[in-house]
Amino acid sequence: MHPALSVIIFTTFSGMGYGLFIWLCGNILNGTAPDNMSIVGGTILSILLVGTGLLSSTLHLGHPERAWRAFSQWRSSWLSREGVMSILTFVPMVFICGQTYIDMGFQKLIEPMAIAGIIGSVLTIFTTSMIYASLKSIPAWHNIWVVIGYQIYALSSGGVAYIMFSDWQQYLYVILLLIVALALKIITWISIDKHRGKYKREDALGLPDFGKAKPFEPAHSQKNYLQREMGYDLDPQRRTLMRWIALGFGFIFPALLLYIGLPITPVITLICLIGMMAERWLFFAEAEHVVRLYYDRESV
Amino acid sequence: MTCLPDKTDKKLGLLIDLNICVGCHACAVNCKEWNTGGITGPMEDIKPYGDDPSGVWYNRIHSYEFKKEKEADRTVYFPKSCLHCDDAPCVTVCPTGASLKRSEDGIVLVNPDVCIGCKLCSWACPYGAREYDTSAGVMQKCTLCIDKIYDENIPQERRVPACVSTCPAGARHFGDFADPESNVSKRAAEFDGRELFPQMETKPVNKYLPPRKREKHEDRRLTPKVSTVKDALLKWAKLDFTG
Repeated sequence: MHPALSVIIFTTFSGMGYGLFIWLCGNILNGTAPDNMSIVGGTILSILLVGTGLLSSTLHLGHPERAWRAFSQWRSSWLSREGVMSILTFVPMVFICGQTYIDMGFQKLIEPMAIAGIIGSVLTIFTTSMIYASLKSIPAWHNIWVVIGYQIYALSSGGVAYIMFSDWQQYLYVILLLIVALALKIITWISIDKHRGKYKREDALGLPDFGKAKPFEPAHSQKNYLQREMGYDLDPQRRTLMRWIALGFGFIFPALLLYIGLPITPVITLICLIGMMAERWLFFAEAEHVVRLYYDRESV
Repeated sequence: MTCLPDKTDKKLGLLIDLNICVGCHACAVNCKEWNTGGITGPMEDIKPYGDDPSGVWYNRIHSYEFKKEKEADRTVYFPKSCLHCDDAPCVTVCPTGASLKRSEDGIVLVNPDVCIGCKLCSWACPYGAREYDTSAGVMQKCTLCIDKIYDENIPQERRVPACVSTCPAGARHFGDFADPESNVSKRAAEFDGRELFPQMETKPVNKYLPPRKREKHEDRRLTPKVSTVKDALLKWAKLDFTG
């Protein structure tokens, strides 16, 4: 799949934003929340990250002005559910931010809102992952690793961002989570590499009993939309490089820097975000669509 | 609404005979001709006469060479357009309701006034049936010439999709697959009508008739038998002209 920057920013930024918010809410419920100004700062960053992500996703649209229509089909569409959940989750985000900044007399509601915040964030990340995992036509996405991965990477990258506001409290848990996320990413890559080639061109043509099929004359002289959108060719060398950038920036460097305890948490967060963007770039670039069977792939 | 109907009254679709198709592209050309002036037109054409033309086509004609041991190679021309699936994944993923499957005849359509151009439907389709119109910012697809097949100003016998009416070889048939007595259902049953990519579980309505199994005499091209004069004379004597 063509790795479009707008969609990469959408899932990485919003993932980090929801992850950070889950860490904040968890600590509010746990009674280990940082001081009020840090809660305010943390929720504002969550809102900014999620907002940037959602705005970026509308840049991907042919008609951004009609984006509001996407809230209507939640009964069948994971994309629509994602839209609805993301808007609902803004409620606890804005409430916790506002109530903590200026006590409006709703302090009692902070804890229920923190619970709502965690549920909303987890569900929003889940719906985002299901947009991809529900597509049978893209085998690299149509598996459980995508669903688990989106949650874990959101929590690990959000955890790194949380260090900025929590005065290094619980940084060991964040390191642990980064190691889990690293392992998960490697398992995911092993899994998708092993499952390549499941579908054959002859299956796509409905003619599995006529021998081996090879394209003869191309259906059209120039690349069409399908090939531009779904025919991304990932150079093996670039794949290796991007995989190392994803692992290094996304998980290894942040874990090491946190372990050393360098007081440059914004830089560590930025490194982690760059790593997650590389990870998400690969998520698209490595995913092969079965429509390629009609074109240049014998198997996908 | 992007939930699929439980059942459609009719299942209008195409039966494409791969044994007959000669790969002339006339169906694709007439499709574009009709639809660029039809309700979903104009169909995008970018630099149509330049070095790098691109644009939307609802129907594209692929071709493949099949190699099988102990058989002569075959060339199969393979027209591909929307299959109007019963379990159309392109419809359920649509967040806006622009994608829909009609309960009366099963035709899958895009409402261009509601489409936000998120392209997710084209990702969900395993067949590459949907193409994005970059100028209009909306998704496009085969309508089964809905503005032709229901037009009462056209004589009844011509109310078939443009690709069907133009096919010079008679490789394309249009009809109702829900009716077991229809022309397409009967032909599909008789000649081993196939679904494309059954592993995707989309239950396509359109069916493809595979190339027919080879008759004996065709195999001779691969392993020509040298018959002796005696054999030939014996055959003539028996008036047996097979093989």
